[in-house]
Amino acid sequence: MHASRLFLFVVALAATAAAAPAAGAPPVSSRSLDDYRHFRALAIDLLGRMPTRDEIAAFERPDFAMDAWIDGHLQGSTYAERLSRIYMDLLRLEPSPSTQFAPDATTLYRHQVQGPDGKPVWIYYRPRQRRTREETDGEFCLTKEETGLDIAARMQPKEPGGAKPVTKAVLEQHTVLVKPWWLYRDYLNVQPTRRYKMGWDDPDPSYQPVEGLLNDPDGKPTMEVRVCREEAQAMPTGHVYVTGRTPPPKGTPLPHGRTRPAPLDSAYAKLHKGEVLACQSKLAVDSSAECGCGVALEHCLPNDGDQGGSAAFYFPNHIPLGLGQPIDTARQQGQRWFPFWWSQEAEHLLSHVFTADRDFREVLTARYTFVNGPLAQFYRAIQPGNCCGGEANFGMVQETEPLFLPSNVPTELFPHDVASWKMVPDRGPHAAGLLTTPMFLEKYASARARGATLYTAFLCKSFSSENAELTPSTEPNLMVRPGCQSCHATLEPLAAYFSRIEPGNLVYLPQQLFPVKNEKCKKGPNGQLPGFCNAFYDVAFADATGATLRSAYGSPAHADATPAGAGHDITKMPEFSECAVQRVAGSFLGRTLTSDDAPLVRELTSTFTRDGHRMRPLVRAILRSDTYRRANNLDSSVWRGGAK
Amino acid sequence: MSPLRSAAIALGAAAIAGCGPKELVPPQVGPKLTVTSTSTQDSAPKEELRMVPAEAYMRTYLALFGGLAPLEVQKRARGGDGAQLFDTWDDYFSSLGFPDYRIDMPRSQQTNALMVATFERLGVALCDRAVEHDLKAKPPVSERVVFAFDEAAGPAPLDRAAFESRFDVLHRTFLAYPVKLAPTERAARFFKLYGDVHARHAKAGGKARFSPDEAAWASVCYGLVRHPEFHLY
Repeated sequence: MHASRLFLFVVALAATAAAAPAAGAPPVSSRSLDDYRHFRALAIDLLGRMPTRDEIAAFERPDFAMDAWIDGHLQGSTYAERLSRIYMDLLRLEPSPSTQFAPDATTLYRHQVQGPDGKPVWIYYRPRQRRTREETDGEFCLTKEETGLDIAARMQPKEPGGAKPVTKAVLEQHTVLVKPWWLYRDYLNVQPTRRYKMGWDDPDPSYQPVEGLLNDPDGKPTMEVRVCREEAQAMPTGHVYVTGRTPPPKGTPLPHGRTRPAPLDSAYAKLHKGEVLACQSKLAVDSSAECGCGVALEHCLPNDGDQGGSAAFYFPNHIPLGLGQPIDTARQQGQRWFPFWWSQEAEHLLSHVFTADRDFREVLTARYTFVNGPLAQFYRAIQPGNCCGGEANFGMVQETEPLFLPSNVPTELFPHDVASWKMVPDRGPHAAGLLTTPMFLEKYASARARGATLYTAFLCKSFSSENAELTPSTEPNLMVRPGCQSCHATLEPLAAYFSRIEPGNLVYLPQQLFPVKNEKCKKGPNGQLPGFCNAFYDVAFADATGATLRSAYGSPAHADATPAGAGHDITKMPEFSECAVQRVAGSFLGRTLTSDDAPLVRELTSTFTRDGHRMRPLVRAILRSDTYRRANNLDSSVWRGGAK
Repeated sequence: MSPLRSAAIALGAAAIAGCGPKELVPPQVGPKLTVTSTSTQDSAPKEELRMVPAEAYMRTYLALFGGLAPLEVQKRARGGDGAQLFDTWDDYFSSLGFPDYRIDMPRSQQTNALMVATFERLGVALCDRAVEHDLKAKPPVSERVVFAFDEAAGPAPLDRAAFESRFDVLHRTFLAYPVKLAPTERAARFFKLYGDVHARHAKAGGKARFSPDEAAWASVCYGLVRHPEFHLY
């Protein structure tokens, strides 16, 4: 039996047992109005809705066992959703509309050209793809002379004087036909046959490519897509490509309809000419003409247009009742596809902690997570394309210690399996609950934002500035600068935990290659660091012996402890448990707790820690407390213990 | 002495005093305060009722619509009337108080005018569709989600006893407790509402979409689905 079904069965059984009337018991209610209101509040908090008439009738029976009813519904999905909501309201783990995740290495766009017969044809390409043909190196694979398409002016073929038919020879020389992963369920086969809704008849209903990816320009179903030849390459490795090209004289017009000059050889390429490199890396896009998007283009995400405004899939904007009950569905840009699933990963992780009644500290420490098909594709094939550029100067040409080891991604998940979620028991040694999920790291993009969120959300503390005069200062150490120190003395060490995760690309900087104090990055006589250091090391904390890793100066020890250390250290603090109790109790009572509630908080915190930081005993204690029962009663006499 | 001269002298004296040494007021013991009356300070915590979370409101709404998915409810609520009765859930998302994590919009903890208007619009849509489903189509009572009772047998309005037994069903449906525990005037007020609407529609002579009895029950439903007790807990 599927786990969730078993779960529902247990809940139903418990609820039925609680509500089962004794044989012949008269349905006479001796319940008071307060009893009914209490039951309604419990239903709203545990069932996620008001009680039905049948549930009220069951409640009215004399043998209705309230405690058993509560226990039965402390197992339910709506209970887990209720608790997840507390932390989702705090952390807001959804990508903003401006979140764009479209690395050059893993994104396919397309231009429309005229085929040899004059009919429109779409050709997919990767921005900045290296090609051995100088005219198109780092650009679309066909020139303006071949297509009549002025890409620089964003001229589309429909416009007068625009495109001209591409000859068959040019088309075949520079492009190939591919059966891509987004159209074929069996895309890994040599000859895929199960095309979306044409042989693959049972796709997940939530997997919905946009029409532009399903149909050709003439409206017929797309069976194959035409792709620039280099992008269709599927070798796992390539070689560092060096052209010896020199920069064109200043003012030289761009030839062949190029949008930018042909790429020059990077310092890394010059040093490593001809060396083997992994194709699943950012470096490969920049430095090799032999690397493409892999088998069936599975390392790349398609778009139905030329960058701005193009779309890839339908998925909802709002899912207030969960993924299974969307309130809308919208045509979305490809760059929002993975961020959408990052958010769902965070939800699944939180939900699991509450559903399975795990130790709540796992929210910050767990190495496990949950992935579906798109996330499996992301961790296996997309994230590796985020590294490495400047990191190569420190000897990292592909991620050596990723937050989520691609080898730990379930192999049985296909990119189309949007509704199939699998538990991954271990992401890798650097994983730390929510803290190393892409959603947390993207939502809180700087080390300070991440540290501050830990402090406020999980310790219930806030930063309040001292009443100090802000005087002009050149002191870079905010832990001592007047006016800043009161907050930053705490914030900088917290931020240091996250200094090994690059802002914006989720790349982990290993200690071996990126020591906190790096002798390679000595401050020169001009007061500057070597240029390649600036992205990773802070000139404000450098001297003639080396520079300090960015964000690490507050605590080099915390930098090496990594987010996993943050999770460990924060959950050991006594404020962590008390904060969790305050968050949960405040949510169920519908108010901020005050000093008047100190005895209740002490008692609940004791329950919470004694029971292994599990939420179910805590919530049970809250729901059974007189404080909860009276929480919706305005009558102040009740608080004084007097008559109602 | 003229008032003008008096003012000038006063101003001059004040100016001289301002320039001189500060006057010292020696401390002195005042008379003892006497108790004239006593009152008890109410130190009890003052709490407001909680708003039903938007998620719970929406789940309840879906349940009252027959346990359908949100998009199916949207489709049925709009029916053949387009946006006359119901727009889209997306239109109501913010005004229902849902947080929008994407733009860091927090959950609404208090009602506002737009939210109350949304509750009204959604409530009317629910009640009207329920009248169509339960009272017009006349399925077996066991299949009726909202109006789970027999409608009036004839064109005459129900009497008070017949009304109250049916009103109790609606009261339990929306407010989750029997009407006998409600404030004593509630049943009478709703009976008057039922009677008034019934009479007005009867007078209109069948031009309306609903029969007098249906329109009367719809208005009772409107009153309950928008009741403060429905939205607070």
